[in-house]
Amino acid sequence: GRGGARGGGAKVIVEPHRHGGVFIAKGKEDVLVTKNLVPGDTVYGEKKIEVEVPAPEGSANPIQKVEYRSWNPFRSKLAAAILGGVDKIHIAPGKRVLYLGAASGTTVSHVSDIVGPEGLVYAVEFSHRSGRDLLNVAKKRTNIVPIIEDARHPHKYRMLVGMVDCVFADVAQPDQTRIVALNAHHFLKAEGHFVISIKASCIDSTAKPEAVFASEVKKMKAEKMKPQEQLTLEPYERDHAVVVGIYRPPPKK
Amino acid sequence: MFVLYEHASGYVLVHCEQTDDISELNANDYASFGQLVKLKAFQPFTSAAIALDNMNAVSEGLVHADLKKFLVNNVPKGQSVGINDQRLLQVVKEELDMSVAGGDIVLEICRGVRMHVHQMIKPLTLAKEGGAQLGLSHSYSRTKVKFNVNRMDNMVI
Repeated sequence: GRGGARGGGAKVIVEPHRHGGVFIAKGKEDVLVTKNLVPGDTVYGEKKIEVEVPAPEGSANPIQKVEYRSWNPFRSKLAAAILGGVDKIHIAPGKRVLYLGAASGTTVSHVSDIVGPEGLVYAVEFSHRSGRDLLNVAKKRTNIVPIIEDARHPHKYRMLVGMVDCVFADVAQPDQTRIVALNAHHFLKAEGHFVISIKASCIDSTAKPEAVFASEVKKMKAEKMKPQEQLTLEPYERDHAVVVGIYRPPPKK
Repeated sequence: MFVLYEHASGYVLVHCEQTDDISELNANDYASFGQLVKLKAFQPFTSAAIALDNMNAVSEGLVHADLKKFLVNNVPKGQSVGINDQRLLQVVKEELDMSVAGGDIVLEICRGVRMHVHQMIKPLTLAKEGGAQLGLSHSYSRTKVKFNVNRMDNMVI
């Protein structure tokens, strides 16, 4: 509205996405966005989109500004899964999320936007180089608990993590299902959910991607992890799949 | 059985009389969990530096002097203490000459305590719990990054 941000003339309308805490900015093109937890701040050079909405009654100014950040599906597997039409992400306002493979914190910053001030993101990253960036992101976003540790050894950071509603994993390691299971046994609620991004070539570069995904799903079942949904990340990523499931599902009656 | 739970804000000891009922217990429900598992003792860390010092010991599987004191003072003589970490469990057994327990039952009890600790300990709320984790994680992770003098990646390939 009124000239818009950064010289953009077109009027942009932001609508809530089917997934709570996720939005779509409708302008010339539709863009996936999250509501900026720290207005004015960007994390990795992403675009800010500002819209004006009527303020709640009794406010001094009748118009309120709300800022969103664009979320690039080519840079974030979670964004790719959402645009690919994943049924549930199990990450929503107020939720507690354990994020394994947080890297520099780009996707983590959007998860932090989604869960909002009432939620928490426990972000685990082992690489010290990325860890420095992650620490800086967490300094401004106070719902991120930064953990520079090896996700293979959850006992090392057990003092830092509470019980979570969801484990999200993007660790790109051959034993990643085992890594997620170890963390789930410590930190994931019964009937909590997991969302795992699997890169076929990281697990077995010689086997066909379909065979790799099938064998990973089999490993999950041995760990009380019941897969519920699987989708490929085409056209955003090659040979990637996201598997969503439930941990310790309730017994069938 | 007594079980040790290490929290960002302090050491917690709980007592569970009937461990038979625990395995695969649905700890999501505080009403049933609270019936089985009772708080025995809580020793808060009195400063951020003390919390970090203890966290460093726990993550390396070492018995900090504070933990030693906590266990000796609160676990009754002759009783065994469950510890949810194989390394720490061995060290406690050898250094403190205590009988220890591990395995699935201890894991299940710790899962339940992790879920309900803010209800079991009066002054602790869910928001305060997050605050304690935030403060400790920043100081712990900062030292991790700082002590890496070569500024190299420590990736395991």
